[in-house]
Amino acid sequence: MFERLLPRWLAWAADPEQLRRAPFLARAPLFAGLPRRLLARLATRFFEKVYHPGEVVFEEGDPGRALFVVVEGAVEITRATAQGAYVLNTLGPGDAFGELALIDDFPRSATARVATPGRLLILYKSDFDALMEGNSRIALVVLRNLSRLLAIYARRRPVVATEPGPERAGPL
Amino acid sequence: MKPGRLLVWGGLAALAWLARGLVLPVFLAAALAYLLSPAVAWADALAIRRSVAVSALFAVIIAVLAVAGFLLGPGLLAEAAALVDRLPALARQIDVGLDAAVRELAESAPALRRLLPEGGDWVQRFVLNRGPGEPGDLFEHVGHLFLLAILVPFFAFFLLRDMHRLIAVVMDRLPPQHVETSVAVWRELNGVIGRYIRGLVLDGLVVGALAALGLWAARVPYPLLLGAFAGLANVVPFVGPLLSAAAAGLVVVLTPGQGLAGVGRVVLLFLVIKVLDDTIIQPFTIGRSVHLHPALLLGSVVVGSHALGVLGMIIAVPVATVLQETARLLLEHRRVLARRDLRLRSERPVV
Repeated sequence: MFERLLPRWLAWAADPEQLRRAPFLARAPLFAGLPRRLLARLATRFFEKVYHPGEVVFEEGDPGRALFVVVEGAVEITRATAQGAYVLNTLGPGDAFGELALIDDFPRSATARVATPGRLLILYKSDFDALMEGNSRIALVVLRNLSRLLAIYARRRPVVATEPGPERAGPL
Repeated sequence: MKPGRLLVWGGLAALAWLARGLVLPVFLAAALAYLLSPAVAWADALAIRRSVAVSALFAVIIAVLAVAGFLLGPGLLAEAAALVDRLPALARQIDVGLDAAVRELAESAPALRRLLPEGGDWVQRFVLNRGPGEPGDLFEHVGHLFLLAILVPFFAFFLLRDMHRLIAVVMDRLPPQHVETSVAVWRELNGVIGRYIRGLVLDGLVVGALAALGLWAARVPYPLLLGAFAGLANVVPFVGPLLSAAAAGLVVVLTPGQGLAGVGRVVLLFLVIKVLDDTIIQPFTIGRSVHLHPALLLGSVVVGSHALGVLGMIIAVPVATVLQETARLLLEHRRVLARRDLRLRSERPVV
């Protein structure tokens, strides 16, 4: 009787929201390699928000204070030029954007606009900093993943230092 | 404004006025929720349902309070009972001293006679005539305390359990362009208030324990009661430590055999505790949560005291810190946007 009831009670006592978030974050390239325990701690710091098509998450030049992870829907990353705005990338579930806000205080280098109805997870910089201070493993894994992403981008689009470079499509 | 909307706002204002009695319980409940929130965050990371985690946490707190009451309760009650028994004699003693001082002052400076209070037995009238003379008043006070003891944990339970849902609702209603700044402001404020309240409680516990131990070592009567008072009064900046030292000093003055040396020991003890608190305890407990200039800190306490009395003095520091942090974030946001607009204007082709 007890053996039958205990698993049922444990399943009821578990928070479905957290159980959904941690494995989802594990699939995001930025958090790949983080152990489950740390992913669970990280997941508690995220806010979730529903976005409608056409809504601007942030604009180029805005102060960057948070990282976003796409849970549902699609997000277009665009950049304005003299000829008009053009799409640099379209992100889907599991993709993260705005990650440079976790590292420096520079303004956003592109605009993020929601293309289809979606939900985003939002991690504020100070929360991430607090987690990094409390656990260097998170800092190490995330910064290694971020370096990998930057390396991939740099190989794809080498920048000539002496000339004004082309548009960037890497981390924002 | 449309009449319908005006009616809704008017109704809400009337409701807020009727519910003004709930301000203090909700404020205390929020403080309790902040105090307990790290335990709930820990349970969140283990993917435990909020209702289960908060219920378990309250069960543990009730158990801890029961054990603490079992261990410390009899001592505290005995001291309180002894103090109540001695209260008439103490009040008479203080009145005799005050009478003598007023008479002496009036004789040495007749010009001041008009300014000095007349009559006598001030303390006896203040302390002794209250309880038995106004039973309704006494029952009202006990009733308020009982209501607070029920309402505060009740509200704290629901704040801990449902606050994240409320935040989710607010987040979904926020315009997208304000989300990032709102999240930044909320998280900073949440962090500042949480660290401040947890630090303040820890600081009060350490100061109270040190005072109780020091008073017990100095053979001052009622060390547990005076230590508990010192810990509680410590939440009031500047005035709290003075009040607790004055209370202990008064007890020493009225205790036969302690004399001036006893007063000196108490003053020295509270001075040492204050120095330890400022240099060692507070940097560890409250630490980085408050970045106020000392002048702003003092000013905020004075303004808080004028506005809301003792409660204002307690909340002055976190409120000033919150205002400072909000202003910093909003100004930073404005500065970055102004820089962006300037850059866009300079990049615009000249026609």
